[in-house]
Amino acid sequence: MPFLAPLAIAGLAFIPLILAFYMLRLRREERAVSSTYLWQQLVRDVEANAPWQRLRRSLLLLLQLLLVAILVLAAARPFLERPAGLARDVVLVVDASASMGATDVFPDRMTAAKRAAADALVELPSDGKVSIVAAGETARVVANEVTDRGRAAALIEGITQTAGKGDLTEALRLADALASRARGAEIIVVTDDAGSAAPDLRTQAPVRVVPVGRDRHNQAIAALSVQTGAGGVKRSLFVSIANLDASAVSRRLQVLADGQPFTARDLFLDPLTQTQVVIDELPPGTSVVEARLSALEPSGAEASGAEAAGPPDQLAADDAAWAIVPSDRLQRILLVGPGNVYLQNALSLLPNVELYGATAEEYATTTGLEQFDLIVFDGVLPAELPDKPVLAIAPPRTSVLGTVSGTLEQPAIGRVAPDEPLLRDVDLTRIHVAEAQRMELPAWARTVLPGPSSAPLLYSGLRDGLATAVLAFDVRQSDLPLQVAWPILVANLSGELLGRDASTLQPIKPGAPVELVLPPGTAGMTVTAPDGTLTELRPPDGGAATVTFVGTSQLGAYTAEPIPAPVEPNPSGSPGARATPTPSPSPSPSGSAAPIAAGQLRFAVDLFDLEESNIAPGDGARLTAIGGQPVTGGEAGIARDEWWIPIALAALALLLVEWLVYERDGARRIRGWLGGLGRRPRTPKGAAR
Amino acid sequence: MTDQRAAPASEPEKRHDLLPSAVDPTVFDETFLRQLEQLMLVTRKAVRGGMKGVRRSAKRGVSVEFADYRDYSMGDDLRTLDWNIYARLEKLFIKLFIEEEDVTVHILLDASGSMGTGEPDKLLFGKRAAAALAYVGLASYDRISLAVLQGRVARRYPAVRGTNRIFQVLADLSPVQAAAGPTDLAACARHYAAQLTQRGPLILISDCFDANAERAISELAGTRCEVAVLQTLSPEEFDPPLEGDLRLVDAESGSGVDITADLATIDAYRARLTAWQAGLEAVATKRRASFVPVPTTLPLADLVFAELRRRRVVA
Repeated sequence: MPFLAPLAIAGLAFIPLILAFYMLRLRREERAVSSTYLWQQLVRDVEANAPWQRLRRSLLLLLQLLLVAILVLAAARPFLERPAGLARDVVLVVDASASMGATDVFPDRMTAAKRAAADALVELPSDGKVSIVAAGETARVVANEVTDRGRAAALIEGITQTAGKGDLTEALRLADALASRARGAEIIVVTDDAGSAAPDLRTQAPVRVVPVGRDRHNQAIAALSVQTGAGGVKRSLFVSIANLDASAVSRRLQVLADGQPFTARDLFLDPLTQTQVVIDELPPGTSVVEARLSALEPSGAEASGAEAAGPPDQLAADDAAWAIVPSDRLQRILLVGPGNVYLQNALSLLPNVELYGATAEEYATTTGLEQFDLIVFDGVLPAELPDKPVLAIAPPRTSVLGTVSGTLEQPAIGRVAPDEPLLRDVDLTRIHVAEAQRMELPAWARTVLPGPSSAPLLYSGLRDGLATAVLAFDVRQSDLPLQVAWPILVANLSGELLGRDASTLQPIKPGAPVELVLPPGTAGMTVTAPDGTLTELRPPDGGAATVTFVGTSQLGAYTAEPIPAPVEPNPSGSPGARATPTPSPSPSPSGSAAPIAAGQLRFAVDLFDLEESNIAPGDGARLTAIGGQPVTGGEAGIARDEWWIPIALAALALLLVEWLVYERDGARRIRGWLGGLGRRPRTPKGAAR
Repeated sequence: MTDQRAAPASEPEKRHDLLPSAVDPTVFDETFLRQLEQLMLVTRKAVRGGMKGVRRSAKRGVSVEFADYRDYSMGDDLRTLDWNIYARLEKLFIKLFIEEEDVTVHILLDASGSMGTGEPDKLLFGKRAAAALAYVGLASYDRISLAVLQGRVARRYPAVRGTNRIFQVLADLSPVQAAAGPTDLAACARHYAAQLTQRGPLILISDCFDANAERAISELAGTRCEVAVLQTLSPEEFDPPLEGDLRLVDAESGSGVDITADLATIDAYRARLTAWQAGLEAVATKRRASFVPVPTTLPLADLVFAELRRRRVVA
C-alpha cells in the first residue's frame, strides 16, 4: 500500500518510548500503615528496587502500542489508486436558484446538490483541478482551480441558495470560459434542470449533468398587486395563483394587512392552471399586504382532508408574496395666483389630490391653511410664508425662498445631474424659456435645473424642515407646458414635496438593486430587511440625491427610513415668515392618516417567477446537448482513495477501548461509592455494628 | 469521668489524675458504671479461686447450695450431719455444699506498634475496653490481672480486687504506649501463659496483625482459661483509603511494600482480610475461644452491652 506521507512512519519510534515507560519503575509515594502483613500476601508489584522492571503482560500496553501503530498509519496517509472518472480540469456548476429549495428530496434540493457535487469530485484525478461556479441570481466563481478536494468540498458547502431566479445560462458561459483555459476540461452541472427555457449558448467543453430532484408538486403566488379604484380611494387586491403540479389540489389563500389576518379563501386549483382572485375593500390605512398560500387544515367533517388537499407544496419560497399599498390619503393642494390653466391641469391630474385655488387677495384672508399639504404660489408671494411645503413659481421678489436679482432673457439650461430624481423621465432637450427670474441659490437648496451664470432655474431643498421648491420662470414664458415633460415634472415635484414616490410600489426581483430617493435634508437611508437586519446607506458625496440598496436577497417587505442630516445653524438668524392660520370651519380632509412616517419608504421583494416555481425536474439532456465533444486520446488520470478516515475511526474506537480499560476501576469505584453511600462505615462479616 | 460518687470522697483530684487524659469522660459516668456493675464475666466451668467470692468454685465449702453427701468421718463438723438420713438409715452422712470463690480475670492488652495507628487510635480503644472489662470484673468481686504485651514479653501488673481499685487499673493503663519495635504476639502469649497460676476468663485485646497470631491464640487457649479475643481494627484497615502507586510502610518493622492501589487491589485486600479473620475465628472456635472482631468506631457501651453479651463473654 503506497503512502502519501511516508515520513510519518517515523512515528513508530514512539513504540519503544511507551515500552520504556512501562519498564521504568514508578516512584511511589510512601504511606504508613499499621501492618503490611496482609498486603504482602496479595501484593502484585514487589519487584526488586531497581529502576527497571520486567515487562509484564498488560492490556493497556497492548492497546497503546496498537493505537500508536494505527495513528502512524493514518498519518502516513495510505491510499489506493484507480482510474479517474473525471477529466483533470473540471468546472463544477452548482445551481443555487430558488427552485433548489424544493423539499422533494431530503432535506432539500440544495443540500442534495451540494452532497452530489462533493461526491462527484471523488472521481477527480489526484492531480486534478476543480473550479466551482455558483449559479444564483448572478453567476459567481466560488473556487478557481482548487486542487485540494477537501477545500473544494468546503467551498461547495458554503454556497448559499438564493431566493430569486438562477442565471444558469450566465453560469454556463462563465464555466465555459474557465474550461477553455485547459485542454480536455469538463463541465459538471449539478441542477434540478427545472424550467422550460434552454440556455442559449454552446460550450466547447463537454457538459455532464448531475440531476437533483424528483417531484413537481408546487403551487405559487404568481402575482400580487393592489389596484386603486377610479375614485382613488377604494383599493382591491389582485392575486394570481398558479398550480404547477400535474394534479388538482386545494389550498388556502390567506391575506394579511400589515401583519394582521384580513381574509382567507379556500381554492380548488386545477392542474397546470393559473387562478385569479380579487379581494375588494382592503382595510383603510393598510400599507403592506401579504398573501400566503397554505395547505387546507383537515376538518372533522372532511373525512379525507389530506387526500382532498392533494400532495403537499414542496417549494415554500413562492407561497408568500407582499405588495405595497400606495398611500390612500387624499392630499390637498392650494394654488395661489391669478390663474394658470397649465398648472391647474397638471396638478389636477395627480392621483389622490384635491386642488383648491385662490387669488393673492383671497389668500390673505384664507384660514385653515393647516388643511393643505402643499401650497403653490404662481407669480405671487405673500408677506409671510405658510408653515407648509411650498412650490414657488417665478417669485416676484426676494424672500427666504431666494434672492431675486433681476431677470434672465432666454436662459439656456445647464448640465443636469443624471441621478436627479426631480428630473426623472423629464426630457429637457426641447425646452425653451423666454424669460426667467435671476435667482441666487439659498443655502438650504440644491440646484435641480441649472441656468446661466450659476443662476438656477429650478431648485429644491428643505427650508426649516419644510420641503420647498422654486421654479424661476413662469411656465407660460416657456414651451414647457406644451411638452410631455410638463406633467412628469409636476408629478415629480409634487412627489417630492408631498413625500410620495411611486417608484417603489412595484415588486422587486430578489437580488435586484433598488434606487431610493433621498428626501431633501436627509443624510441617507436606513433599510430594515424582513428579518430585521438594518442597513445604513449614505451617499459617498453629500450632494447625491439617491442611494442604491442591493441587499434584496430576502423575500418580503422592506422599510427605508431617512437619516436626518445634521442641523446647520441659520446664519441669517431668521427662520422665515410663519403663517398663523386660524381654525377653519371647513371639514377635515377625507381619508385616514398615513400609516407611514414622513419620508419613509416601503418596497416589496417577491419571486413572481413561474419558471422558478415550476420545479418539475428535467433529465439534463438539453444541458448536455449544449456541450462539446470530449477530447479523446488524452492520458487517463489516476484517482486516489485515501484510507485515513477508516483508520482514524479505528484509532478512535481503540482510544475508547483504552479509556474504558483504564477507567474501569474508576467506574467501578464510582458505582461502589454510589451503592455504598448508605452502608458506610464498611465492616467485615461478623463484625459488630 | 464523672464517677466521683464511685470513688473515695477524700481523693477527688487523685481520681481525676488517674484517668487517661484522652479517655472520653462521659464513658465512665455513673449510669455507665451502674450498668457495668450488673454484668459479670462469664465462666463456663467452675474454677478454683483464691478468696471468697460469688462464683461457684470447684471446691466444696460453705454455702446455701447443696452439692453432695459423703460418709461421716471423725473430726467432721457435726453441724453438717444430715439427721434426717440418720433417722431413717441409722447411718451418718455429711452434707457437702458448693464453695463460692472469686476468679481471676486476665486482661491482655496488645501494645505493639501496629496498635498505635488508626483513627480512632486502636490502643486507646483497647485501653478503654480493658478498663470497662476490668470494672465489670471488679464489680463481680473478681481479681483482675492486667498485662501489656510488647516485644516478646507480657508485662503483668499486680492483680487487683474490689471496685475501688479501678483507678489503679486506669493508672496502670494510662501510660501504656505503643511499642517502637516489632512485637511477637505468640512469644508474649507464651510468656504470659508461663506466669499464669489461676485459671479464669482471659481476654486478649489485639489487632492480631502478626504472622503468629493463630499460635498466640493457641498458646492462651492451652492455659485452659476461657479465652476471648477482641480484635480491634480501625476503619482504615477495613476499607483502606489508598489509591495509586504507593509504598506502604509497616508501623512496626518499617519495611515497605509497593502496591498499585486500584479497585481490584482494594477488593483483593478486603477478601484477604475476611479470609484472615475467618481463619482466626476458626482457630479460636477450635480451641473453644471466642473471637470478636470490633471496629474502633464502635461505642464502648455497644461493645460491652451488646456485642460482648451476644458473644457470651459477659452476662
